[in-house]
Amino acid sequence: MVTDALSNISLFDLFPLLFAERATDAVMFRAHASVKAMGQLTDMKIKPGCSVYRKLAGLQRLTGKVPWISSTRPAPLLTAAPVRALVDEQISIRGRFLPPRCPVTVWARMHSDEGDLWESFAHYNSNESGAFSLTGDPSVGGSYLGCEPMGLFWSMQPAPGGREGLRLRKKNVETPYLVHISLLGGHVSPSGGQISELAAVTAERWYMAPGVKRIAIHQNGIVGTMFVPPGPGPFPAMLDLWGMGGGLQEYRSSLLASKGYVSLSLAYFGHKDLPGPPDRINVGDLYFKAAFRLLQDHPQVVSDRIGIIGLSFGCYLTLRIATRTGVKPSCLVCINGPMGSTVPLTDSDGRTDQFDSFQQYWTFDDEGRVIFKDVSLPANLPPDSFVKLEKLDCPLMYIVGEDDLSASSTENADLIEENLRTAGKSHLFTRLSYPGAGHLIEPPYSPNARSSMWSVKPKKLITMWGGHPAPHAAAQEDAWKKILDYLEKHLRS
Amino acid sequence: MSLRSPPPILSVRPSRALVDEPFEVSVENLPPGGPVTVRSLHRSEDGDDWEAYGRYVSDHSGKVSVSEDLSFGGTFSGKQPMALLWSMRPVPGSRSGLRLRKLKVTTPMLVNISVYRGHNDFRDQTPLASAVTERWYMAPGVHRVDIRQEEVQGTLFIPPGPGPFPGVLDIWGGWGGLLEYRSALLASRGFASLTVEYLKPGELQTDLEFSSFEAAFNILKDHPKVLSDRVGVLGSSAGSIVTLYLAAESTAVQPRCVVCISNANCYPHESGLSGIQHLLAKKFDKIRLDENNHEIWRGIGLALLDDAPYKVDMGKIRSPVLLVNGRDDQNWPVLETADRMAQVVGAAGKAHLLYRLDYPNTGHQIEPPFSPHFRATNLAIDGTKDKAILLWGGETKAHSEAQEDSWKKILSFLRQHLYCSPKAKI
Repeated sequence: MVTDALSNISLFDLFPLLFAERATDAVMFRAHASVKAMGQLTDMKIKPGCSVYRKLAGLQRLTGKVPWISSTRPAPLLTAAPVRALVDEQISIRGRFLPPRCPVTVWARMHSDEGDLWESFAHYNSNESGAFSLTGDPSVGGSYLGCEPMGLFWSMQPAPGGREGLRLRKKNVETPYLVHISLLGGHVSPSGGQISELAAVTAERWYMAPGVKRIAIHQNGIVGTMFVPPGPGPFPAMLDLWGMGGGLQEYRSSLLASKGYVSLSLAYFGHKDLPGPPDRINVGDLYFKAAFRLLQDHPQVVSDRIGIIGLSFGCYLTLRIATRTGVKPSCLVCINGPMGSTVPLTDSDGRTDQFDSFQQYWTFDDEGRVIFKDVSLPANLPPDSFVKLEKLDCPLMYIVGEDDLSASSTENADLIEENLRTAGKSHLFTRLSYPGAGHLIEPPYSPNARSSMWSVKPKKLITMWGGHPAPHAAAQEDAWKKILDYLEKHLRS
Repeated sequence: MSLRSPPPILSVRPSRALVDEPFEVSVENLPPGGPVTVRSLHRSEDGDDWEAYGRYVSDHSGKVSVSEDLSFGGTFSGKQPMALLWSMRPVPGSRSGLRLRKLKVTTPMLVNISVYRGHNDFRDQTPLASAVTERWYMAPGVHRVDIRQEEVQGTLFIPPGPGPFPGVLDIWGGWGGLLEYRSALLASRGFASLTVEYLKPGELQTDLEFSSFEAAFNILKDHPKVLSDRVGVLGSSAGSIVTLYLAAESTAVQPRCVVCISNANCYPHESGLSGIQHLLAKKFDKIRLDENNHEIWRGIGLALLDDAPYKVDMGKIRSPVLLVNGRDDQNWPVLETADRMAQVVGAAGKAHLLYRLDYPNTGHQIEPPFSPHFRATNLAIDGTKDKAILLWGGETKAHSEAQEDSWKKILSFLRQHLYCSPKAKI
């Protein structure tokens, strides 16, 4: 069935065939095939499809566990370098002093700030010298396939038995994630029970470089957190806006500060220190203008080198700030968001109606999970909220996850591009588009949540974000590099 | 504040590292072809400020890369990626004869690296940019265990993971007190390591005997997370006496391999280890002074080379021995000692067990890589209330290269003999 179908369907249509999210076998096989792995698989002349699962699972049963461990043989050595790193830095993980050509499993686990256990694992074979490395060798099974140096981090999933609908986000950026990485004998599934740990290493993953200062902001009604790089400055700066999840997310700002930008994460919705009822946006243009001015007036900020980055609803806010409030940012980065408000406005300053009251464009999949995508279809956005792009005066980079299930990113990108072209401003527009990537394009090497818990009251709702692990991870890695280069170009030169 | 263009940015990658890992320091957004000074600054646990600096010229794109570009002077010159660490010295106006040693290994060394305009007088200026980097002796997950037994006082470091691990007994030389940093680093590299306190700070007097070290060796060997047949010994300076004893003459223990840094091989028979101080004192007339009144103790060692009532009989070694020495060692005649040992070993038909690394222009204190070199440091001589400045020797650049090279080779030697190599027999 599949070899004929292969020529007709895209590689990414095949991904669902390789998912085995329920452990039905003694070997819990969760393979998220990367593009490279798909190539390797087809080179191996294994036809993608159900037969792949059976063949690979069969290989695993053949290898089994390695009975060579004895008390007179020293344990092998597992190393990670650097052992303390920023989350966007690559870590080189190697195993040495193993027997030659021997199957092993690398198993990573860590606790989120909320105490949930996340884990991933991958199967490798040592070479003739008894060594292997994640930077040079392919994973032949587990949470990811193929040569993926950072695969252990981006392929992490909540451990079995944990709470449902989880999403991994660092709340406290002043402490690192502690990742315990173990080397196990044989090709095993770590949650399958019988494991023998041969070696281990602990790695720290930081969202903040040494010397970066974290400053809580509660002045003039502005609620946020500012991060300032070490050194005298002055520095270019970034205003950092997230989406309708609300609250205050600091981790992207702390990373930007670690790259030399003063960065202000701004809360505008769903935060206890903001005015008004919590189910709507009660701050308007003046609020965002004040936040921008806060950055401009900071003694360590270069006042004419400030950019804005926004994800999801933050996209719309970014565009609105740049075209309506009178401030002059130097560049904008918009990720997967609309060019108009997804919630009806109640005044000309941008305040909105109750968020959840307008549900007519919500759709649901067959498991009852809500998909917000159609809410931001341009045709469904309140016309009075459309940003007047002809007023845009600075470069704009728009990033699209083509598998975004939460926002109509491609349609909005198209419309933004068209509007700018009409206004004779196409030269301001840059688009990055990533197949297989979902809504939550975040700093690299963090796991993607294809869906997660959206609300618990009045009823439990899980929302779909979209994105498949390997292509989404590739998108995050590439997008982050390109964002940093873009900021470098427009804020530093 | 508004500028025509934002100021330079300085980055250190990685920003957090173990002390033996290299880093890359680069500056961007400088005026092209402009003179700058890149400087590192560290405040030691004793409250002294140490600094290193190099003078650079930015390229056409306004970049300086410390790893790639040449320094035109400062505390180092030429292409020296790590000299911002190893060429550090106390800032002008500091006390003399200082030494940089980290005693608390659970926290990192913080080094501030900055870039200044021009090649002169940077101390009066505000830097153009700076960054902070952390240098750690201990990897995450390494356990630190206090050992407080009757005979053995020290600290044990155990790598993360299930183990069991090969072990290394770490023995320092005189005047140090309890030094943990080398053991912490060895544990970060996969060896369970025990460091023993036997010479209190400022002393060469000890109550310990060889048997105490045999006890320490056994503590390590019998630890449930240590492979009992894969324990080696690393000793430096006076500590190499014990190390060689354990390698050759001990009947209670048998190290699988030993490393001696800046070897010595003499002790008074009548009082054993505890008499080292007296042994040396008898030859204090052999101390010479250099042009700065720093004390050169080499002569003591030379006089003892033939005189010393007892030496470890190297002909009896049973396991591989690596000797690491500096050819400009002014504190002890390490080369002459090593030559004598080589003769004895050769005569016993065991030349294949002895490995030697002799480094030119290198002094006595061969430490883990990138530690600053100090040619002479203060010493309070116990019992006399005198302070002397001892000359260790070595020329900074060559000595730092020796530290970097020897550490790699020491780790490789330890791995080869204590970890399983694929070619090893079962």
